[in-house]
Amino acid sequence: MADAVSRIEQDIPEQLHPRLPGGFHLPPFGIHQFLALIIVCVSLWALGVLWLGMQAAGQWVGSWQQDIHIHVYLPAGSGRGDELKMALQAVPNVTGVREISAEEAASWMRSWLNDVGLSNKDMVSRLPLTFELSLGEDESGFLFADIRDAAERFGARVNEEEVNLARVHHWLSQLGYLAWFASLVLALAMALIISNTLRMTLLARADEVHLMRLLGAREWFVRMPFILEGALIGAGAGFLGWLLLWPLVWGTYDWFSLLHVALNAWLLLFPLACGGALVGALGAVIATARIVSNDTPT
Amino acid sequence: MVTLCPAPANLCSMSNRQSLIEMQQVMLRYATGKTALSGITLDIPQGQFVYLTGESGAGKSSLLRMFYGGVRPSSGLLKVKGTDMREAAETGIRELRRHTGIIFQDHRLLFSRTVFENVALPLRVQGWKTDRLIPRVRKVLEYVGLADRLWSYPEALSGGEQQRIAIARAMTANPAIILADEPTGNLDIETARRVLDYLMGLNQQGTTVIMATHDLHLLESHPGRVVQLHAGTLAGEN
Repeated sequence: MADAVSRIEQDIPEQLHPRLPGGFHLPPFGIHQFLALIIVCVSLWALGVLWLGMQAAGQWVGSWQQDIHIHVYLPAGSGRGDELKMALQAVPNVTGVREISAEEAASWMRSWLNDVGLSNKDMVSRLPLTFELSLGEDESGFLFADIRDAAERFGARVNEEEVNLARVHHWLSQLGYLAWFASLVLALAMALIISNTLRMTLLARADEVHLMRLLGAREWFVRMPFILEGALIGAGAGFLGWLLLWPLVWGTYDWFSLLHVALNAWLLLFPLACGGALVGALGAVIATARIVSNDTPT
Repeated sequence: MVTLCPAPANLCSMSNRQSLIEMQQVMLRYATGKTALSGITLDIPQGQFVYLTGESGAGKSSLLRMFYGGVRPSSGLLKVKGTDMREAAETGIRELRRHTGIIFQDHRLLFSRTVFENVALPLRVQGWKTDRLIPRVRKVLEYVGLADRLWSYPEALSGGEQQRIAIARAMTANPAIILADEPTGNLDIETARRVLDYLMGLNQQGTTVIMATHDLHLLESHPGRVVQLHAGTLAGEN
């Protein structure tokens, strides 16, 4: 067997590589394919950046999202603490209201300020009465307005910075849906780009496709090279796009470190390469779905 | 059906041979409404050499296309190797094409591919591996006298050589039937005779050859059964 193979190899002149069409043989790679690779690579890179951003936001939010509480401050000596507490408990989606004594608040502040020598007694007399609100999962649009209304009725003040953080958390979860939507739209656009490229290749090779059908080739045999080509362009573009994410990861490393965020680009390798291959194969299926020769049996 | 056959004895013994192609009152009407063939009743036994003659537009090419399933009859019965061409499924047509060699007037060679790649195509479609392809392709090219052009590109060959490559491609899968649509149309008389010699040789080995042609003078040197078409109908046989 080995002798036979080597004899056959001797039959083939040097620098000549027979390329038989159809089946699992890839067609030649030309300028159209190269351009499609670049365009799809840029799209996949943009997708990678989007999901890296989601990853960073997830890590950043994840560091405090478990402890989201809203604090309401009632000036010391107003004497309406109990009424305020009841009013806050009546706000829908407020799952708990804890009254923080002035002593506890003073003790926490002293540790936060590194015990700078403030008198505990002095602080207790100056600090307002604090209520810590725990919120439920289903955040309604009027939750913070309701809390603010309840607080203002008793002359109390809401910590607006905490309200803003809670809102950011809500927006980030909405952004996740947007990221998926953008990914789907981009995937469709990439499939159409690859489909268009392969259609040009198909036009250039229409004679070959027609001839293969005349010779009784099965449809998968005729279409497989194009599907392989599409998948290869997609996978190649995904890999290149992933490589191009690394300069971004390295360039933002210091800045993200300040936010306790460590980006992991390796997580995106498989989704980008496989997603690219899938999108490429889909584009090829779209391109080849309508190639019908005059002599196609119907 | 009465057949007068001046061809060698092996071509004329219809009565004791199995029908390869059977046609009864076949009509072909294209989607445009044009009737290409009507009322064709014909029987072609295995091993015959059949010339389809007639003026341009007589229906020769349409008839050949029906034989390989390029178009389906609008009415009537057409059976090729037992396959009903009106009712056959896609897979049945493909299977039939795998055992049919087709030669075109413009030969339809792939100019971006070598002679080897062109001739190996039918076998490639049938799933042959490359190590088996080269000896087989070399053998058929030897038959048409072009073994030394295995790695050439078709554009480097003359018109006659290109047509011989087309013959090699048609015969490479050892088909039971070869359909040739005016294969000598663009060739000079001498080259046309050589092409006919190859087809006759294949016929003598048992392959049924059906050839559409205008070159009636070839019949003198290469006799066979003649089926004459006129305006889409069977005008006569000889």
